[in-house]
Amino acid sequence: MNFADENFELREIQRLDGHTDRVWGLAWKPATGVEGVPAVLASCSGDKTVRIWQQSSVSGSFQCKAVLEEKHNRTVRSCAWSPSGKLLATASFDGTTAIWEDIGGDYSFVCTLEGHENEVKSVSWNASGSLLATCGRDKSVWIWDVLPQNYFDCVSVLQGHTQDVKMVKWHPSMDILFSCSYDNTIKVWAGDGDGDDWYCVQTLDESNSGHTSTVWALSFNASGDKMVSCSDDLTIKIWDSDITRTQSGEGYAPWTHLCTLSGYHDRTIFSVHWSRDGIISSGAADDAIRLFVESEDGLVDGPTYKLLLKKEKAHEMDINAVQWSSTENRLLASASDDGTVKIWDVGPKTGQKKV
Amino acid sequence: MDKFSATLRIGDLNDYIAPSQGCVIKTENVGKARTAPKEVQTEPVKISLKDCLACSGCVTSAETVMLEKQSLDEFLLNLNKGKAVIVSLSPQSRASLAVHFGLTPIQVFGKLTTLFKSLGVRSVFDTSSSRDLTLIESCNEFIERYKQSISTDDEKSKSTLPMISSSCPGWICYAEKTLGSYILPYISSVKSPQQTIGAAIKNHLCQKLSLRPEDVYHVTVMPCYDKKLEAVRDDFVFQVNSDGERFAEVDSVLTTGDVLDLIQSRSVDFTALEESPVDTLLSNVDEKGHLYGVAGSSGGYADTTFRYAAKVLFGKEIEGPLEFKTLRNVDFREVILEANGKVVLRFALCYGFRNLRNIVTKIKSGKCEYHFLEIMACPSGCLNGGGQIKPKPGQSAKDLIQLLETAYSENMLVANPFENPRIKRLYSEWLGEPGSEKAKRHLHTEYHPVVKSISSQLQNW
Repeated sequence: MNFADENFELREIQRLDGHTDRVWGLAWKPATGVEGVPAVLASCSGDKTVRIWQQSSVSGSFQCKAVLEEKHNRTVRSCAWSPSGKLLATASFDGTTAIWEDIGGDYSFVCTLEGHENEVKSVSWNASGSLLATCGRDKSVWIWDVLPQNYFDCVSVLQGHTQDVKMVKWHPSMDILFSCSYDNTIKVWAGDGDGDDWYCVQTLDESNSGHTSTVWALSFNASGDKMVSCSDDLTIKIWDSDITRTQSGEGYAPWTHLCTLSGYHDRTIFSVHWSRDGIISSGAADDAIRLFVESEDGLVDGPTYKLLLKKEKAHEMDINAVQWSSTENRLLASASDDGTVKIWDVGPKTGQKKV
Repeated sequence: MDKFSATLRIGDLNDYIAPSQGCVIKTENVGKARTAPKEVQTEPVKISLKDCLACSGCVTSAETVMLEKQSLDEFLLNLNKGKAVIVSLSPQSRASLAVHFGLTPIQVFGKLTTLFKSLGVRSVFDTSSSRDLTLIESCNEFIERYKQSISTDDEKSKSTLPMISSSCPGWICYAEKTLGSYILPYISSVKSPQQTIGAAIKNHLCQKLSLRPEDVYHVTVMPCYDKKLEAVRDDFVFQVNSDGERFAEVDSVLTTGDVLDLIQSRSVDFTALEESPVDTLLSNVDEKGHLYGVAGSSGGYADTTFRYAAKVLFGKEIEGPLEFKTLRNVDFREVILEANGKVVLRFALCYGFRNLRNIVTKIKSGKCEYHFLEIMACPSGCLNGGGQIKPKPGQSAKDLIQLLETAYSENMLVANPFENPRIKRLYSEWLGEPGSEKAKRHLHTEYHPVVKSISSQLQNW
């Protein structure tokens, strides 16, 4: 799609009611919403539950198919599907991470991962589904080995952050882990080669044009050579790395600051997510959703990004998460303190061409 | 805070708030200060390390809290107070100094004896000697637990095995503060070598030295900061006379790094220092001046107990080194004994927080198949303790560990603790038999789950 000469809009397709407290996180199930497989979305909430929503192939509307409950006794802060879509990991303020298995649409509880001292804030699977990462308020990042028969062994406890770790995210193709924190930094973690332990290979902070306040979230573009991060400092930052060098084994290619999107937000940006076709969405404390795309104007000085649209009052309260569907149907889901999840679709304004 | 083991740091609950602002311990003064006019509070509230230990909040981010009673200055001060100062050296600290100065451990022992005595120290002992005491009691405890585990199948017998070694204070602190009552029954009741040497000195040997326990100031030199926390435990304080005065087994703990600071602050040319004869009363040094002890640089708990159990329970004498098989990583290794095609003993070394976590999960879910676990909070074990001398510029931590492992066992004769003449004498003159009432009183201890206080929970909200 050409973003340059059209006027875009974000259309609310459906509002999903059901959670009885703020909604914290979202995860589209991989390989759903394509080839006749109905789209499936998981949402997690302060009501201690996870809801599984499935799109009807007939009406196209989403319905709650399952509620995963009675395992966490505090807020479920984050959820993530394994790449195969078979397992769902849920991270909770109760200090545990639960693993659930999808058995033909029924979700059965598999096990809990214990070890974090207190609130677990985020959970992420690596590209192959062989490793799981968690992080939390105890300032640590944990890496778990996914073993046969649903055993999970802790392979590393990483203590580089000096404050609450808000999010962990694996690189989409390499076994390199990213974490962002209340200490204003993004840290990059990699294995030591002999598979024995993990180390911090890079810290992105103020000294390398990083954020000046809490980094809440990060996301990668489709090819994995660019990363976007969002912060309480009201900016979004784009980073890039020569990942072919890292992939070829010639050594770790560091991430460098590419540009900063400032002036667009005036409240904390809690969530940022990069769609497969290049649209960056942000969810913020001002209840608005914004979309950004790469602009072709500034190619001389490297890429710049422009605001494609801003959806005011997308929710009634803070937006905690925005998440693009992994498929080409260009669905965006958002989760809010108002207790709702909304499904959006983005496209050219109907009947309006920019003159 | 970096100096503590990673395990202890993970137990650090509330560090959004510095202890000065957010300490949850309610001392009398704090309570008053809230309601009374400001001028009543004449000096800042002091929180001791002991308070921190009993609290379920942060361990303590403030090293000042700890260093008050556990510092080099405090040690030097007591030398001038007319007390009989006794220093007990750990073998891991000797190895660290040996590598740093390019000496052998026995040379370090002799030179440290010279240095400490020149400062007025009365005696310098060796905790590998008291470790043999700890090991003998552990072996005895293991046999009891093993027999109990096979003789009954009631609920109580379920928490007898695996027996977990108790010498790592970082592990004990984590177990008490974070894991609580489900894990504590598995931990060996035997005190660590630091505490058994304290008990032996203050309850028995001081009489031989014509000293009263109240006149002895006992300092240990340890590879580990967490040992400072261990020394101030209430369980390691005892009463000798009727007027209720209480004494600590260990009055102060210096780390290897503290001792290096002492050497450097006095501008001592350590390598050139003369080597004094060592005090053999409580040191593992034989007539020819050789160091002796068990194999295993973290204390040899699994090694020694395995050999003893194989012999006592299954009549098998094991010669030579045990074959530890590396499992997930070098810090998780096991050794097994088979009899009639069946595994009858399964022991493991489990070092570092990640391995510790995995084994704890297995124990909790009832899937732990080990009979004995030597758990140490630090990766690579005690030679890599937080109180050891740091790698030199350009030296990797892995390289340093290799050097320390070599230095540790260099010229050290491997010896059976049960054959140790110093220890035999302690039993015959003082304790009686291993596991006796007297041994239980002086060499065994208890663990206490830390109940989370409401205020610390509130902070966690």
